[in-house]
Amino acid sequence: MASLTFTELVEIIMTPSLPVIIIGLILILGGPIIFHLVLSSSSTYTVPPSVLLLGPDNAGKTALLTLFERGTKPSSTHTSQVSHSIELNASTDSVTKASFRNHDDSTGTHTKFFLVDTPGHGKLRNVAMGKLARTEKTKAVVFVVDAAALGEQETIAPTAAYLYDVLLFLQKKATSKGKDKASIPVLIAANKMDLFTALPATMVKTHLEVELTRIRASRSKGLLDSGVGIDDVGSEEQDGWLGEYGSEKFTFQQMGEFDIDVEVLAGSVLTEEPGADKWWWWIAQRI
Amino acid sequence: MLDAFEILTTSGVVLWSRTYAPVSPSIVNNFIADTFIEEKSGSIAPTDSQSAATNPAYRSDQHTLKWTFVKELGLIFVVVYRSLLHLSWVDKLVDNIKTIFVELYGDQLKKPHTTLVECHSFGEYFDQQLQELDKSSHVGSISPIDEEASSRSSASGLKYRGHAPNGTAQDTSADSTPIPTPNASRPSTPGNLVVAKAGPVAKMSRRARKAHNTGSAPVSSGDEALASTRQKKGAKATKKGRKWNAEGFADEEDDDVQLDYSRPNLTSDSEAEAVGRSSALDAVESSTWGSTSKGKFILKDLGDEVHDILASAEAQKAEKAARADSKTGLLGTGVNAISGLFRNVVGGKTLTKEDLDKAMKGMEEHLLRKNVAREAAVRLCEGVEKELVGVKTGNFESINAKIQTAMESSLTKMLTPTSSLDLLREIDSITAPPVTSLRKPRPYVISIVGVNGVGKSTNLSKICFFLLQNKYKVLIAAGDTFRSGAVEQLAVHVRNLKELTAREGGKVELYQKGYGKDAAAVAKDAVNHAAQEGYDVVLIDTAGRRHNDQRLMSSLEKFAKFAQPDKILMVGEALVGTDSVAQARNFNAAFGSDRALDGFIISKCDTVGDMVGTLVSLVHATNVPVVFVGVGQHYSDLRNFSVKWAVGKLLSSN
Repeated sequence: MASLTFTELVEIIMTPSLPVIIIGLILILGGPIIFHLVLSSSSTYTVPPSVLLLGPDNAGKTALLTLFERGTKPSSTHTSQVSHSIELNASTDSVTKASFRNHDDSTGTHTKFFLVDTPGHGKLRNVAMGKLARTEKTKAVVFVVDAAALGEQETIAPTAAYLYDVLLFLQKKATSKGKDKASIPVLIAANKMDLFTALPATMVKTHLEVELTRIRASRSKGLLDSGVGIDDVGSEEQDGWLGEYGSEKFTFQQMGEFDIDVEVLAGSVLTEEPGADKWWWWIAQRI
Repeated sequence: MLDAFEILTTSGVVLWSRTYAPVSPSIVNNFIADTFIEEKSGSIAPTDSQSAATNPAYRSDQHTLKWTFVKELGLIFVVVYRSLLHLSWVDKLVDNIKTIFVELYGDQLKKPHTTLVECHSFGEYFDQQLQELDKSSHVGSISPIDEEASSRSSASGLKYRGHAPNGTAQDTSADSTPIPTPNASRPSTPGNLVVAKAGPVAKMSRRARKAHNTGSAPVSSGDEALASTRQKKGAKATKKGRKWNAEGFADEEDDDVQLDYSRPNLTSDSEAEAVGRSSALDAVESSTWGSTSKGKFILKDLGDEVHDILASAEAQKAEKAARADSKTGLLGTGVNAISGLFRNVVGGKTLTKEDLDKAMKGMEEHLLRKNVAREAAVRLCEGVEKELVGVKTGNFESINAKIQTAMESSLTKMLTPTSSLDLLREIDSITAPPVTSLRKPRPYVISIVGVNGVGKSTNLSKICFFLLQNKYKVLIAAGDTFRSGAVEQLAVHVRNLKELTAREGGKVELYQKGYGKDAAAVAKDAVNHAAQEGYDVVLIDTAGRRHNDQRLMSSLEKFAKFAQPDKILMVGEALVGTDSVAQARNFNAAFGSDRALDGFIISKCDTVGDMVGTLVSLVHATNVPVVFVGVGQHYSDLRNFSVKWAVGKLLSSN
């Protein structure tokens, strides 16, 4: 065999014998399968669920993210420009289930998930909303607000406007008929409870509800967007009415109509007490 | 000295920081918002591998921030110091720290899904750099003091003679901070300037004197204090020969004769010759010697490591440059071209400037065809190009598609306003303020400015119609007291609006004082009248004016002061081309230093179809958002500006 010349080799291959046909068939049929196996093993097909951190700037989103990741205390942070995600493990049946300081815990089953931080600056709002629209398997949205500054008109107005956009987006997603229909629960994390001026959770809730009512009223009376053509006027899609249609006051319960569960929980990133454990437990339950 | 040094990521996490004095985090936050997000400095997007010296320093009220940026890792290096100090070595420090940090921790930064970077030991590297640079700079610039201090006992006329020109030469040659020499032998004289004037300057040539004066002019008191503390450290320098030229001061260029006979015995400082030296080489030499003599050998080891890192980075850079030059080989280009073509189709290609150039040219042309002013188009394209260089294309993604998406996000970012623009809510908060705010209700004042014939009165009446539909009481002030028929035109609008909205429950009146009156006074009276009569909104029309006519524009400042408008909206027509940039700039600057435009109304958008580039030019020139868009002839043809709509039109290809 060793003395096989090139011409002889070609001749053997070209001869229609059984082994040649079998080898040929294996190559042709097996090739794609092997190729697929190689590809599928190299990348994970199962995307872990993700939780989105939204909120206006200077609310404490990135600080919360680093707190969850480090477990001890948050790193100092500045204004974010890009979105960033980290990998975390949550559990609902382990010993330390109610605490995010579970890095060494091996009891119970842990679910891996991504916590996605978004920039809160007004100019980068579309980055955050894009994340909300594109992220696969979004299990929950955590909307961080600065409870200490919420009493002031300058803070609550943009915060509520942002929250309005987020809720309206989620409402549209919940009522859409397509494949991506999903109801995503929202946690309003009232941060900075350690500060003196911080409003309690119930006050945060009522303040936001009042402000959202006001926004809803002014949006319904406002001008049309420049993108709206003549044909779309008055169509179902352009009706951006948040919550129960025609209701006098907006409350977060009205979102329940679309299976969107909105909860307000107080906490603080920087201090042990009240801490961020309540938020963590809320997230852990949703995953 | 420095107040703080921070290393942070674009996702907002501070990886490492060193604080010497408490610095409010809002300073760095504002810096990020202004420089990176809003790009207020007007420059193109921050680029990679630029040294801190070329990046414009950011100044807040008391602090100066120097920064540099590593794009692929998303790292920002920023140093904060008091604006009073002129620290020339800060640029070098930031650059060196960048190189070292990237070298040491670059791998950790590339890991996905984490923000953790183990860099606790970085402090030592930082200290080493700080010490080295700080010292070398001060040895270089304040060593004349040391020289004087060491020879205090033998102060002589000759020595002053030697010293002053020496300072001159340094101030003009190096751009290091000129440090005044608090003259130790003459405690009564506060600074270099006085000493120099008293003595040898008289004999100097005029040119030299001028150079000397300009060199020492911007010196602050902070440096002096610093300099005097440095003085005690007693860093020494090698001494060199000096040649005296005809004009009586030292010629520094060719001093290669060693006059320092005390060289073998470095501890001797009795040398009191009036000698000068200034070369950077000497400065570094003496600084290294200084640090070892103090017994800080650990620092020295670290110093070696740091120098290795810096040197290798330097070498890599040179190698890269060399490779770029040598890529012209025949075989090399052939293979490159083929693989490039292949990757163009399949994707996964790392984009270079050359790849992008042609496509960017096309994008620029496209924008110009959309009526974007050239200035704005160039800036956008440069920003996108810098963003894309070094980026890998995705699978089966062509360069054009990549540019398209990058341009889309770039445009969206530019056009998106920083805060939401809900006019009705703003009016409500002024006319019916919350009880807790302790503000008195007053009418909300909107004034409208613009060039002649862009549709100021028309858009004013459109806004009025919109407000009337929302049941506000509106007063229209006829501020155009110049053009014949302007008041009558508004009167017709008011009559029509009254009839149209009689059912809706709105109320509208015209406030006019006829022609020839001062517009600012009319506006002021109108606002007072509205406050008395309980109107909700005052809309002030103004006369159209050419933006480059200083005489007409100057009255706007007085107008803004008198009428105190809550919103100044400028009407720009979509038809105008390149001139839009100048229009927006001039109008934005016309209201004085503490007032600017609040928004644009783009009129006549229905006449241009897809070519809505004007609004990009306007926003590019001023960073002022577009509020409304006029899309037709009827009162109801006013629209809120939608960023998505505009970006879609700008990028559509036909």
